[in-house]
Amino acid sequence: MQSNERAINREAWFGIAPAVLLLAAVQGYPILRGIYLSFTNTSLLSPNRSTFVGLRNFTALFNLDSFQITMVKTLVYATGSVIGAVVLGLAAALVMNGAFPGRRLVRAMILVPWATPQVAVALVFVWIFNADYGVLNYALSSIGLIDGGVLWLNDPDLAMGSVLLVTIWKIFPFSALVLLAALQSVPASLEEAARIDGARGFAVLTEITLPGIRRTILVLVLFLSIWSLRRFELIWLLTQGGPVRATNTLVVDLYRQGFVNAHLGRAAAIGVVGFLASILITIVYYYVEQRSARRAGEA
Amino acid sequence: MTGRRVGGVARTVAIVVMVGLTIFPIYWMLVTATTDTSRLFLDAPDLLPNFGHLAAFAAALDDTALLLWLLNSAIIAVGTTVLTIATAWFAAYALSRYRFRGRGAFGLALFATQFLPEVFLLVPIYGLFLTFGLLNRLEGLMIVNAAFVVPVATWLLKTAIDAVPREIEEAARVDGAPRLAIQISIVAPLVLPSLAAVSVIAFFHAWDEFVFALTFISKADLRPASVGIASFVGELTTPLDVIMAASLIYVLPTLIFAVFAQRYVIGGLVAGSVKG
Repeated sequence: MQSNERAINREAWFGIAPAVLLLAAVQGYPILRGIYLSFTNTSLLSPNRSTFVGLRNFTALFNLDSFQITMVKTLVYATGSVIGAVVLGLAAALVMNGAFPGRRLVRAMILVPWATPQVAVALVFVWIFNADYGVLNYALSSIGLIDGGVLWLNDPDLAMGSVLLVTIWKIFPFSALVLLAALQSVPASLEEAARIDGARGFAVLTEITLPGIRRTILVLVLFLSIWSLRRFELIWLLTQGGPVRATNTLVVDLYRQGFVNAHLGRAAAIGVVGFLASILITIVYYYVEQRSARRAGEA
Repeated sequence: MTGRRVGGVARTVAIVVMVGLTIFPIYWMLVTATTDTSRLFLDAPDLLPNFGHLAAFAAALDDTALLLWLLNSAIIAVGTTVLTIATAWFAAYALSRYRFRGRGAFGLALFATQFLPEVFLLVPIYGLFLTFGLLNRLEGLMIVNAAFVVPVATWLLKTAIDAVPREIEEAARVDGAPRLAIQISIVAPLVLPSLAAVSVIAFFHAWDEFVFALTFISKADLRPASVGIASFVGELTTPLDVIMAASLIYVLPTLIFAVFAQRYVIGGLVAGSVKG
């Protein structure tokens, strides 16, 4: 019995060894090194020479007004992209649920944003958003909604909205397809029964359909939130965090501090703050999940 | 059902609008790439592609290093996919079939990697690769990309292997087949759709990846397409129609793949999150 258990452990460990090795080298070690760097004053110019400075990078960060702006921008970006992707994804999933002609084609088309590489997305949207010759301003002014060139990416008041628009375009297919799969697992008979009992469309949606996919929505919100804190390339390629910090989220600020200002220690401290924020989101998720599971159990 | 609730006409309109907005940016790439530069900066832009004007595509292929960049991207993406499958498969099998010591910790570690922003790990990995001579090597990017895909891949494959009845394997084991052979010759063919989905996800991730390639590759002839195409923006010498033509050529393989392999792609995207 004992030797059998040891054999199982050995076989299993042989199986996971390559993955453990890869993840330890390219995720585990770097995160530990990153946390260490956040307590030092390491510079990009001499990354191997570092002096321990305790919490100085963190106190410096929290004393900066600009870092508070970064935190607010990150919160706005995360909330906006998650809500946008879930609401739009849900709407798309609801209209795609059930049979209709061209269903396969529509499902293929909806994959387009997901399959388009971020560099190409950024390039084409910068052109679409162009103030003087962009097609968006052309379209909006020809139907009389605007008058003159709107600076979608260069106006500090509009840049975040524009970046969110591109982000939601890119990520909503993922939530639409995940929610569609979940919708298909809600028994149609339940919705039918509710309708026979006299419930109308919206009531069926909020009383039967949404509770039926509650867990999927929660998991989706968790992952979209964590990913929104990580998303760098799209924002960097669209605005580089500007204009005047209007789209400067944590990871963009991290990249700027590390690679533009060459201050690796402070960049790492920003990374640690983002990492802690992700963990906080997960704790909140578990709390909400437990509570709503308990409530569902009682009902 | 839902179909009846969202009425026929309203639903059709909603779907058409949705699909239109979804594919518009790609359509606009095509329009821009097929418009002569002299007609790009007008007050009223041309709204339809002009298939008689394909000079920008020829220029993208002849005057830029696009083909070389695409080749580099393809090498990186194929390498990433192979490395991901080779690593994730055995881990997924172990997670699914064995109750071993450290199983919970390994599962948690896979989840925890989702927290780590690429940009945060950039500097430490740069230092590591400097030590091991992996900078300016396509292999280095394969390793980094695989490390970011393996957690998701392992989870997807584990979910798929969970659904394969153990009895199928046990019958083969009675016949004396070694466990490794059973994994590859019996279990793997049964989860082929998930293996396809994982391959697509790994390939797309590598094809898309930008920031590690930008930081780790300084030799121009080793650049992948993501970095190469982004470099047009700063230099201001490449005309806009050529940039859009190059982007379209870069986007096309993944788009075609996504459309034709949609069943696997969607299955893979959805499996982990709904069941997990």
